[in-house]
Formats: sequence, structure tokens, C-alpha cells
Amino acid sequence: MDRVIFGDNQFFGINHMSEDKAQTLAERFKDVRAILGVLDAAYDCGIHAFMLNTHDKAREICGHLRANPQRYADLRLYPSLPYAYKYANAVNEKGIVEALNDFLFAGRTAGEAFATLIRGGRTIINRDLIDVMKLLVDAEMRVFRGLNVRAVFLQNIVSDLLLGMGARDLLKAFADHIVASYGVDPGFNTMNMPQMVKCLQDCGIENPLVCSSINKAGYFMSPGVKEYEETLRTRHFRAMAMSVLASGAIEPREAIAYVCRLPNIQSVVFGASSRTHIEEIQRLILAHWPTAEPSCAPVVEVKHAAAGCADLNAVTQAT
Amino acid sequence: MLRGGIIGFGRMGITHFAILNSRPDVEITAICDTHSFVRRNIARHLHVAAYSDHEKMLRDADLDFVVVATPTAMHKAAACCALERGLHAFVEKPLTLNPNDSHELLAMVGRSACVNQVGYVLRFSDVFMQVKRLLDARAIGDLVSYKMEMRGPTVLGDTRGSWRSQGDAGGGCLYDFASHAVDLVNYLVGVPERVVGAVLRPVYSRQVEDALCATFLYAGNLWGNLMVNWSDPSCRKPSYRFEALGRNGKIIADLHAYRAFFRGPPDIDGLTEGWNQRHITDFAAPIRFYLRGFEYTRQLDYFIDCIEGRASPGVSSFATAAETDTVIARIRASAAQEKRSERWIA
Repeated sequence: MDRVIFGDNQFFGINHMSEDKAQTLAERFKDVRAILGVLDAAYDCGIHAFMLNTHDKAREICGHLRANPQRYADLRLYPSLPYAYKYANAVNEKGIVEALNDFLFAGRTAGEAFATLIRGGRTIINRDLIDVMKLLVDAEMRVFRGLNVRAVFLQNIVSDLLLGMGARDLLKAFADHIVASYGVDPGFNTMNMPQMVKCLQDCGIENPLVCSSINKAGYFMSPGVKEYEETLRTRHFRAMAMSVLASGAIEPREAIAYVCRLPNIQSVVFGASSRTHIEEIQRLILAHWPTAEPSCAPVVEVKHAAAGCADLNAVTQAT
Repeated sequence: MLRGGIIGFGRMGITHFAILNSRPDVEITAICDTHSFVRRNIARHLHVAAYSDHEKMLRDADLDFVVVATPTAMHKAAACCALERGLHAFVEKPLTLNPNDSHELLAMVGRSACVNQVGYVLRFSDVFMQVKRLLDARAIGDLVSYKMEMRGPTVLGDTRGSWRSQGDAGGGCLYDFASHAVDLVNYLVGVPERVVGAVLRPVYSRQVEDALCATFLYAGNLWGNLMVNWSDPSCRKPSYRFEALGRNGKIIADLHAYRAFFRGPPDIDGLTEGWNQRHITDFAAPIRFYLRGFEYTRQLDYFIDCIEGRASPGVSSFATAAETDTVIARIRASAAQEKRSERWIA
């Protein structure tokens, strides 16, 4: 696992503490070139692992990364999907069936669309939810074709929904699909880490990869800091910490010192919008984790997804 | 163990199910939805009895409470059925499309001991609860005026495929979206005595409004402006901005933070003279399970606490929701009046 991963929430106008800050970020990163400038700064600071949501801008970002293989030769991506708002808005506008059809067929060639139709059945409505989920995952993953993907995360809005519903077979089906179709680790973003870890282990997912907010302020940590710390101490899983700065509520030095002292944290995911800030956080993490150099993982081949995703020929070139 | 049922398994029904199901003292044993795709997957993946008819569900399943999350036009029939059986009821907002219907439901709960609640979730938002405390404590003195703005990217094209495009089903910006802002005004400031100058306008929709404005008038010269637009592509998600001016200061709030100006020390929450800023990270209380926002869990936990006698009902009851429906009806009446004036001028 990469110990330091660069997150992307800041590029999409997300700030959990302030709508004014979120607006400033949305204005600043309206142009993908501004985003790429910050990603380049992170890459040049030695952070070669990026977590990317499947926001509309991900297509352009990934296109740029694909077009410059030498510049990003050591790149490792951790996609996080789905970007839920685009689904919610489309379902509001069109109803669920037409929205699903749009997502599954948008931007595809006739042959690809035909393959999806064969696999999905003529009408989505007659299919089982697991089949629909697999088709949607494959549709989202097309953005990352040809890039070095290390793990695929289920966004917390979906994973926590499935957790609350007790839909264990769907969580397990997601994990199995990611392993079978892409040959990488499935990951789970969550705002309810202790319950999620227990649920995934109860599902039979061993040593699960779980990314959650972990910060001294206890922000976005349900049910509370105490339960998080106990889970980190007692459960066998791979923990990734995000929102370590609590959207700016905690001073960086204090924030990083807290998270790096906790047991079982494999990676820290952080977002920043300037080179100075990236260097500051990177320096603080290195001070606590001297071994936080980018990991030299073996070559991984991302397998083709099954029929319907014939263009996802992502053979990776890791170091 | 409380046994619950859910009527309507769309976006809100699913959210409520997940939050309630995550409680150890609640079991959702029945779900009703009209779509066969939804029912088939409920039975297969959630292992809950799925019904197509809510009357049959309420008759056959032995329930303590029900959550009604259907399109608004069906709220009254489902809620009546539940109340007749003595079930506690949580109904999504708005309560009904007509204040008379809401008052009929209110009369029914008046004759029973059922806990009743409506999904005006902003009454459980950390920031707006803080703002309510400040206003109730008269921290900015007598109110002079306020504005409530709500905007979102909910409808950015023709919505003919959805019930949101049909006014008689409860679609349209006023019922489906602005009802939150109207209820928030009622919660924070109080129910206006009069509504004047209301304008309802389409942006993309053909049969319903996508944007509206109105002026609310109160006794004692207080007035407020409401501006709502659900066809604003510049937003990532629905957002609110409430700005209240009082004789001793001002409060500006959204879902994540508030800023407050005081002419003198307000003597509350450590706030001081001049400008203050508080973010949600300063005061958000921990929540046992998080989905979509702290307030979604808080409102349902409050509902369960009321049923089990751990909390006093009333924060977002059928009574307060009926007041909101009355204000919505006044907005419609004012808009109709404005339209007649426009025609007369033309």
C-alpha cells in the first residue's frame, strides 16, 4: 500500500467545514489545467498515488494522465466510485430506468453498447441488483482504462447505505467483482468505520481495505473517536485515514501527529490545493513515518472486465 | 424491539430504512413499493417482506410504526391508514398538498397517542439548531428582517419522466424543494401572518415551477424574503443561506457555518461583540450512524426516542408541518393574485 495518497475532494468544491471555502475551491479549480497543476506538484513532491472520484472532471484528468505515460510512469490510482450526485440528479430528472440506461450507454460505441445489452439483458428492470451494480461499476471504471489502478473504492454514500441496510451480499458482490474483473483490491470508504470493519469481516472479506475519516476532532467519525481507536487496536484490517485535517479544523502539525501515532494506519489520504501545503503535509508525515517513501510494488496487471467493457485493457506499468 | 414498516422505497425510503435498520432496537419487517423491480430486490437482498399494497401491509404485518416516503399526493391515504391502526407515523415532507388534508390528519393524531413526525430534516441540522438557540435567546435583539435563500441543481432539464414534473403528484419546486425553506423559516422565526408578492416561474419544467420568491409579513413590522431555485447549475448540491437582521446584530448561516455580528456582548456560547464565526466542526455532536448528513440520523433517532418515551415530541410534528402547508397554500394564493395583476396590466 502507498503510505501517502493524494485526495481530490478539493478539486470538486468540497469542503465539509465551510460553504465559502467550497465555493472558492470550485472557482479556483473550474479549469482542469488548474487541477493538473496541483496533481503535478504532488507528483513532483514524490506522491505518486492519487485517489480519484468519478466526477465529470475525472475523464479529462485521466485522459491527460494516459496521454503522458512518461511523465506519470510511476503513477498509482485509487478510484472511488460512484460520484453519487450525478446519479441522484439524473434520477430526479429522468426516473431510474432512463437514468440507468444513460449511464450504461453514454459515450459507448455501438458494439460496446450491444455487448452491455447482451450482458445486462434487454431491460435493466428485469435484472437482479447485483448485475446492475456490476454494469454500473464497469461503466464508471471505463474512465480509468489503460491506467495503473491499485484498488477500487466504493464511495461512502453507497457503502454506508448498504451497511445500514444490512445488504451484506451486495458489499461482498462488489468486492468479488473488483477482484474478478480488475484483479485489484476492493476498498470501502465509510463514515462508520467500526461497524463497517465488523460487517466486512462478517461477510467473509478478510483483512479488508477501509478508508475513513480519522482525525483528532472526531469529525465524521461515527459513533465516536473511542470506538475508532479501539477498532484500530483490535481488528485485523487495513486502515486508510482521510479527512485527517477535518477540512481545516485542526492545525496540520497536531493533525498529522495524532493520526501517525495510531496503530494500524496503512495510508494517509490528504487533499491540498497548493505546492506549499502539499510539501508541508508531506514533510510532517515523513517526520512521523520515515518509511513513507512511495512503495515499490510489483507489476500488477489489471485484467479486462467481462464482456461489455472490452476497452478496459488496463495493463499497468508499475515500478 | 420496535417493528417498523416503510411505504415508498425511493431515495428517502431507502435512506430511512438504512438508518433505522442500523439501530439494534428497531426491526423493519415490511416494505411497500409499487415497482416490481424494487420489491423483488427487497425480498432477495434485504430479506424483508415486500408488499405492493400498503393497506395489505398494515393489515398483515404486526407493526409499531410506519414511515411514509411515497410521492406527496399519496401521503394522506397512507398516513390515515396507519393512524387508524394506532401506529406511530413518520411522514416525508411536505405532509400533504392541501392544508385541509393536513388538518384532518392532525385531528386524527389528536384523538390518539401516536407519535407523529414529518421529515423536515433541517430542524435537526447542527448549525440551524444553534441559530435557533441564538434567536430564541434574543442574542441579536428584536428581528427587523430576514432573507432565506435555497438553491440547488435538482432540475436542469425537462423532467417529464419523473413525478417531480407533475404538480398534482406533489412535484414542482414549491412542494418538493422550497417546503424545506418555508418550514425552516417557521422553525427559526415563526409562521408569517401574510404572504405577498409571490412569483412562481418555470425554468426547464413545462407544467410546474422551478423557481419562486415571496415576501412574508409579521406583526410588529418584521418581514422576510424567500428566494428558491432548484434549477441552479452552479451548485453541487442543495444549499441554504439564512440572513437575519436584528436591532442588536446579524446572523448569516448555511448548513456548515454561521457568522454573527453583535453590537454588544451577547452573553451566550462564548460569543463576543463584533463579528464571530463558528463552523460545524466546532459544535457537531457525535452521531451513532452517519448517512448523508448528521441530521438524517438525528431526526429518526428522535422519532424512536419519542415512541420509547425518552424524548418529548413536537420538534417537527404534524402540527408544525400543517402550519408549513398553510404557508405553502398562501404562497400559491399570492402567486395566483400576482398573475391576475400581471394579466390586468397587460
